[in-house]
Amino acid sequence: MIGWLEVPRAWLDSFGEIARFGVKVAGQVYSGRVFKFFGESVRQAGILIFGSALIIWAFVFILGLQCGLQGAYFNRSIGAPSLAGLFSAYCDLREGLPYAFGYILAAKVGTGIVAEIGAMRISDEIDALEVMGIQPITFLCATRLLGAWIAIPFLYLIGIGLIYAASYFSVVVQVGDVSSGGYLLIFWMYQSPPDLIFSLIKGMVMATVIVLVGCYYGYTASGGPIGVGTATAKSMVFNIVAVHIIGMLGTVVFWGANPRAPIGG
Amino acid sequence: MSRGLLPVKNVFEEVGVMMILTVKTLVSAVKPPYPYGEELVWQFLFVLKLSWFPLVISTFALNFGAPGLQAAGILSLIGGLDRLGGFFVVIAIRWIGPLVTAVVVAGVAGTAITADLGARKIREELDALQVLGVDPVKNLVVPRFLALMVITGLLDIFAIVMGLSAGIAAELLYHQSLGGFFATLFSNATITDLWSSVMVCTMFGAIVAVVCSYKGMSASGGAAGVGRAVNQAVVISLMAVFFFQFVVSSILFATNPELQAVR
Repeated sequence: MIGWLEVPRAWLDSFGEIARFGVKVAGQVYSGRVFKFFGESVRQAGILIFGSALIIWAFVFILGLQCGLQGAYFNRSIGAPSLAGLFSAYCDLREGLPYAFGYILAAKVGTGIVAEIGAMRISDEIDALEVMGIQPITFLCATRLLGAWIAIPFLYLIGIGLIYAASYFSVVVQVGDVSSGGYLLIFWMYQSPPDLIFSLIKGMVMATVIVLVGCYYGYTASGGPIGVGTATAKSMVFNIVAVHIIGMLGTVVFWGANPRAPIGG
Repeated sequence: MSRGLLPVKNVFEEVGVMMILTVKTLVSAVKPPYPYGEELVWQFLFVLKLSWFPLVISTFALNFGAPGLQAAGILSLIGGLDRLGGFFVVIAIRWIGPLVTAVVVAGVAGTAITADLGARKIREELDALQVLGVDPVKNLVVPRFLALMVITGLLDIFAIVMGLSAGIAAELLYHQSLGGFFATLFSNATITDLWSSVMVCTMFGAIVAVVCSYKGMSASGGAAGVGRAVNQAVVISLMAVFFFQFVVSSILFATNPELQAVR
């Protein structure tokens, strides 16, 4: 039986370890050593796109539907149904998409990486790599990080398109309090290109952390087949908390002092 | 069948098998005998001890950032910061409370359940249980199912409390008095909001429990198998929970006009 303070303690413990591990992996990418295995990085990016893109987009689409629905009914309740676009613009771009992206990336990509690398660790393939003179951290972790950095911005941008379409669907088609033109006018008025860049930065930071956490828990898995499962579960615990903290800090940094809304002077 | 339709077929098969497991679980939960009492308490405490910390941090962070700062920013521009309380009824109670509770329970407790059951499956303990005449559904799935249902509903209350305190923090950050916040909060909140939130969250717990138990009990393929089972379990739970939330809130809003009144 675990104790009440076990999870916070484990979280803090592994935070330091993961930070050190992450800096090491990112160093391999920045020093250019990963480009020895550029083909592998592109392959990892391809796996990410073909294996996870559809699920990520489906998840993002469902969150867009919810954003639109909640926004439409909230604006009806305050007597301003034509302003549903305001809620959607904020919910889609600034908050909803980074969180949805973080959740599904942690669930699909993060745990996938743990399961894959963890299985390699258990069956001693990582030691075999080392014996062959290939740095396992570079070959397994840094290539995955680079692959994520190659693929994820594009997945994210397409996700923005999908979440917008979903909100449009639920506000204009499903609830139908506001006309298409009225919705889009407000919707586009309350966002600007810098918002998109900020949102993308938030999503990319989450993605980087998730990939590094996945690599760390996979790389340090131990204890047979059961160990892989436990490590996968632990990575999810870490990722859930990390995604929320990054989301909050991103909001505070990017929009905390300046709401960036076209109101007033 | 052509190869392109194979994923669709697989999805339908998976959903069907999970439905069968749900019905089996429900039937064996109500049919005597009830040998799972001790395990139920144990699982309840296990999930609670695992989930409380991620839940508290996550709900506070999410509610402070997303509805707190964003809405307070725009409300301060139009000079209506006291309306933040009414906004938090929509966000923290109706929407984010159940959703984040479900995400945390799926990510923290659901993965642990899948890893646990998957490990037992790989070590062939489940087969051994069946040989001994012990029903795995009754003795392993039912306590987890009931524990997760109850605990998810209860954690939703904590999620709402933490979410509202995040709203209070955002309000204080803008140097507002809290009178307006509480006034609009209590005039907008209805009993329907609260019970629907807890009810939906209980159903999320049931979804997560069934998906994670099923994936754990059907794990196969050695070392990579358990990890893969956890991966699939958490993805399916999240997708199911988010889709379910959309359907339920559509129905709830359409059938309860008092939720749309101006107050």
